[in-house]
Amino acid sequence: MRFNHVTCPHCGLLCDDLSIEVNGASLKLASKAYPNCLKAFEDASFTTKRLPSPKVAGKKASLDAAIKKAAKLLAASSQPLISGLITDIQGCREAVLLAEKSKAVIDHANGKGMQANLAVMQRYGKVKTTLSEVRNRSDLVIIFGSQIFNRFPRLSDRVLFPKTSLGNEGTINKQIIVIDSSQAAKGSIPKRKGITYCPLEADSLDDIIHEFLQVVNLDSKRSNGNNLTNKLLEIKSTILQKQYTTIVWNTGLFNSASAEQTTQSLTFAMKSLMEDVRCVGLPLGGSKAEITANQVSTWSMGVPLPVAFMGGIPEHDPVIYNGENMLQNGEADTLVWLSTYSPDDLPPKTDARTIVIGHPKMKVPSSVDVFIPVGIPGVDHSGLACRTDSVATLPLQKIRDINLPASSKVLKQIADLV
Amino acid sequence: MAIKITGGIVYDPTHQIDGKKLDLYIVNDRILHQLPADEKVKQTYNLKNHIVMAGAIDIHTHIGGGKVNIARTMMLDDQIEYPQPGDDHRHTGCGHAVPSTFTAGYRYAEMGYTACFEPAVLPVNARQAHMEMADTPMVDKGGYVLLGNDDFLLSLMHESASQSTINDYVAWVLHASQCIGIKVVNAGGIHAFKYNQRRLDIDEQSPAGVTPRDIITTLSRAVHELGVPHPLHVHASNLGIAGNFKSTLATMAAAESLPIHLTHIQFHSYGNEGDYNFSSAACEIAEAINTTPNVTADVGQIMFGQTITTSGDTMMQYFGHEHAHPKKWTVMDIECEAGCGVIPFRYRNKSFVNALQWAIGLEIFLQVDDPWRVFLTTDHPNGAPFTTYPHLIKLLMNRSFRNDAFSIIHSDAQKMSNLASMEREYSLYEIAIMTRAAPAKILGLSDHGHLGEGASANITIYKKQDDVEQMFAKPSYVFKNGELVVKDGSIIKTVRGVTHTVKPDFDIEIEKPLKRYFDDYQTISLPNFKISADEMIECIGSEVVTHPCRI
Repeated sequence: MRFNHVTCPHCGLLCDDLSIEVNGASLKLASKAYPNCLKAFEDASFTTKRLPSPKVAGKKASLDAAIKKAAKLLAASSQPLISGLITDIQGCREAVLLAEKSKAVIDHANGKGMQANLAVMQRYGKVKTTLSEVRNRSDLVIIFGSQIFNRFPRLSDRVLFPKTSLGNEGTINKQIIVIDSSQAAKGSIPKRKGITYCPLEADSLDDIIHEFLQVVNLDSKRSNGNNLTNKLLEIKSTILQKQYTTIVWNTGLFNSASAEQTTQSLTFAMKSLMEDVRCVGLPLGGSKAEITANQVSTWSMGVPLPVAFMGGIPEHDPVIYNGENMLQNGEADTLVWLSTYSPDDLPPKTDARTIVIGHPKMKVPSSVDVFIPVGIPGVDHSGLACRTDSVATLPLQKIRDINLPASSKVLKQIADLV
Repeated sequence: MAIKITGGIVYDPTHQIDGKKLDLYIVNDRILHQLPADEKVKQTYNLKNHIVMAGAIDIHTHIGGGKVNIARTMMLDDQIEYPQPGDDHRHTGCGHAVPSTFTAGYRYAEMGYTACFEPAVLPVNARQAHMEMADTPMVDKGGYVLLGNDDFLLSLMHESASQSTINDYVAWVLHASQCIGIKVVNAGGIHAFKYNQRRLDIDEQSPAGVTPRDIITTLSRAVHELGVPHPLHVHASNLGIAGNFKSTLATMAAAESLPIHLTHIQFHSYGNEGDYNFSSAACEIAEAINTTPNVTADVGQIMFGQTITTSGDTMMQYFGHEHAHPKKWTVMDIECEAGCGVIPFRYRNKSFVNALQWAIGLEIFLQVDDPWRVFLTTDHPNGAPFTTYPHLIKLLMNRSFRNDAFSIIHSDAQKMSNLASMEREYSLYEIAIMTRAAPAKILGLSDHGHLGEGASANITIYKKQDDVEQMFAKPSYVFKNGELVVKDGSIIKTVRGVTHTVKPDFDIEIEKPLKRYFDDYQTISLPNFKISADEMIECIGSEVVTHPCRI
């Protein structure tokens, strides 16, 4: 059976124009193949009728027994950590409530990576836009980091090169400037008219962006023989001539130690430019459901991830409650790892007791105490996911029925027993 | 088994009951006036010295959607300062200006509210708005979906599409977004801002080739012809600008005698006279409402203190960003539909402009004669958090309290306001109108907002007190759908509430041009854009109740 308009939750763009052929437990991508989505649906496909069974201490167990054991481990834990959160909204909703019930800390697998955009939003606010707005309104797109094309391969056909547009000719044939540090590996930039590749002499994208802010802010910043400054002055001049400039970045391409400052510089630059022209940001991310998890935490508990519930109230502190650090420092004795989109998103190595609520093809390490294979959102059960722009929420269709439980139901059953 | 409520003084303006002792029975989730022969009373509430009203309804409160989450993110200090511990009944949470969803539901119920309506649902963000509302317990919810800056409508209008085509689109959006009303924010202005236009007056042609007046006229006619009970809900042009009362009056006229609701009208009632070039035009606005029966308004009262403003009006939010406190702001263009701007504000009684804004809101309340046509709102959280409602009610009901408060605001603002001379004090009956009967009526919720036979058993009971602020802050009992959920101002049981919608008839042929529009321009497909009733229950988590449209 063929399903159309299937949403692919395997990168933050959430493209929803996929067609999938479903034959029993087997899935085949029937629309144009892009590497990320192709792998994800291949990973989701079963050729055998034997489905994975829950396991307790490495041995097959019933779902009920696995749920009871997970609840028992959580109840006995002095400091649980719920992490991963690579799943749909329903799974995240129940994970937050389980964290509250078990007085756990909850954080996303990519907790550190999420903080740059979040911290800048908290401190300064942002100027942002969304995918369709860029597609129809932008006549200039500046992309910081050519690797963005590898990470978001469909940005090109979905946003950058529309065949039709609500705007003028310039919004169809956008000017696209891709900026890299000259020391960075060049990404898969499409060979299309309108794209200019600009490797600039700097140690990092971060350095380029800090200089960009200087160029934007200082009227006195004149051409000075420095190639970097001159090129950025040229780009600033182009921005001032265009109708609607979008600046695209992915904080994963910044130096992790300074990603927050770099995002801040970009934000300040855009806010300065906004005094005269429209210049907006499109941070790309969310490929491991970071946006989804964070939206749920923010609305239901009032604060973004990570959140600690030990004090009976939600406490947000991205340093103290970073999940990765807690595990490394031995500050959590029980880990619940929620990861339902890919068999590759395994729990981190840890001495903590580990409960994995995971993708049905996940091969968990033998040290895992409880493994509960669950359905894949958008394959085995319906669900919802938040797109990279934090605005569009897409439905995930149920396209297969092989009797795998949804993670949300498993989490709720565990919470009821804790 | 029935619950009997006896001895209380009942205020039920829908049935012209103004402070009369009346026995009520609750059977299942309904109110009855006589005990059916086959029912027995299992519990009796003897309510001597108590006041009985229907559950309150907030017709304009920003409680769900992406902009609220942005506000929560930007208000971390406020979230930390106001924690909500959990207990057997309640989830934990936090926040005062923009509380977390569970906390917002508890706060509303603790004040006797049983329904709240989110006034700015972006179609593309409707799922998230509904999920946030689904996670707001205790109260029923509903949303007004944003139109009037969306490229599809603006293109239809520019191409002189027929009114019936536009009506079909409006109805389709109501279905697709599971909403109960249509909202316009700065008609055409959010769209114009995307073209770097920083102001758009009511008769100015926008980059889309239409005027705000055209948009208001067209959409108010669509809403009327579709029989949608709630009039077009309009955030007028030029919010916050001195002298904007003229465009507000022009916006009223744009409805061409069809029903129109002007929201947070306080922010649109400014003159430009005096030493500060900022003055009250409350008198002109109130007079216009009094003499124009098709117009209703909610006030959007400001209260002094820290809050955050969340609005679809990117154009005017950007204009106001220099007044942010603390100094941070977010502006976002959204999906060829609309936008949002989020800016924290601290209203100060020693600021001339803030003080006069406060006085202007109260002047409007006190000068609009008909309480059925003026609604009690703070445009939560934009004017103030909704938890200030009991204080606002006291300002309306107690002249000496009001004048004491007036006497300490900025002295120049006092000179520019005639508030102190206004003798009117709202009665309990009038408060019941503006917070219960009138909201239910204007939303088409026939079995809400009153205590008549067969009504939903949403009942709030207050112990009579001289201090009405305390009285309205902490009801003795709140029943939601017949269940006792609040006792002495505290939650004793949590319930979910439903989502109220309307589903006007339309010609499905409208999906042909819509499909082309989605295929050619959008980054979501048309089938995935639409939210079904099944999805509302299975994924979003709220049951849908559909109310009839006028035929």
